[in-house]
Amino acid sequence: MLEFLPPLNDHNLPWMDTLHPIVVHFVIAMGLIAFVFDLIGTLAKKPALFEVSFWNLLFATTAIFVAIIFGQVEAGLADPYGKSSEILNLHTTIGWSLAGVLSLMSAWRYVIRSRDPQQLPLSFLGAGGLLSALIVLQVSLGNQLIWVYGLHTVKVVEAMRAGLV
Amino acid sequence: MASSFIPTDSPIHQLAGDLGANGLPYSLPIHPNLVHLTIGLFVIAVAFDIAGALYPVEKRVFRFLALPITRQGFHDVGWYNLLACAIFSFFTVAAGFFEMLLAVPLPGVTSSIGLQSMETMLWHGVGGVLILLVIIAMTVWRGYQRFVWRKDMGRQVQWLYLLVGMGMFLVIGLHGTLGAELAAEFGVHITADQLLAAGADLKEALP
Repeated sequence: MLEFLPPLNDHNLPWMDTLHPIVVHFVIAMGLIAFVFDLIGTLAKKPALFEVSFWNLLFATTAIFVAIIFGQVEAGLADPYGKSSEILNLHTTIGWSLAGVLSLMSAWRYVIRSRDPQQLPLSFLGAGGLLSALIVLQVSLGNQLIWVYGLHTVKVVEAMRAGLV
Repeated sequence: MASSFIPTDSPIHQLAGDLGANGLPYSLPIHPNLVHLTIGLFVIAVAFDIAGALYPVEKRVFRFLALPITRQGFHDVGWYNLLACAIFSFFTVAAGFFEMLLAVPLPGVTSSIGLQSMETMLWHGVGGVLILLVIIAMTVWRGYQRFVWRKDMGRQVQWLYLLVGMGMFLVIGLHGTLGAELAAEFGVHITADQLLAAGADLKEALP
């Protein structure tokens, strides 16, 4: 059976490039912009923006599950070294937690929107602020995996296969 | 023929003392983080305008999902996301140029699509400016559709606009591939890659 799997390339991946960072565009951008639009909508009294942030939040929630699937496969093939394995563990834990947080917030938002789409309780705005902070933390961890430790970059994979790291 | 155009005293040396192992004065590059906003906001903006344009088709699906929708709501997502994308993208391109000036790609690498590092950076740099211009133009175009030309119509966008938007998905995808290659293949601003290229032992340099 295993021989039907595609061989790993020089990124140590069965596909051309890392896909997780591409899918996370949508979790990061939609999650953060939902809070920004909620904030502007509240401050400028523009309830039309609440509808915009609702859809962005819903999209972030859908995207994070796809991001996690690719993230798990690529993490499994990453072969982390040094402190990067701790960072990867934390990144994984926060990633799954974020899926839970985003799902709960989408459900909460669905109820708010069904009752009165023109109003947004301040408690939801506060939760949105916390969500943004969590996303920023998660992004900074992911950043370290690629920009410091270079996981899945050709040079690091080469060194790994040569037993240098 | 002259052996070299580049003087040994190139101005990058003025900064050398302030740069880290990744070639930047800070530990993580900024451009790739802002890119999430440019790409995410653009793609979702156009996607929701497509949903707004095809509204009569998908109306039943959303009724089945018990999710109340309005056409106006979808087009609002299309408009405001694109507006935010246009604003953020100036910073994306600015950060990209700053970090490209400090880029030191690994020597002797040819990318998987057959380009060398300088070619990849030039295409990615010029392409970035052109994409920013198209995003600005599309935002103005979208604004005219929303506030002037199609103000009183249910479908707020022209089919041509959606077609151009989908064409941009392709362009941005190719452009992003060049950017990804600068990182994953040429090791630009990646600490581990630069340390390896400098002959360092990662077990000691990055414990």
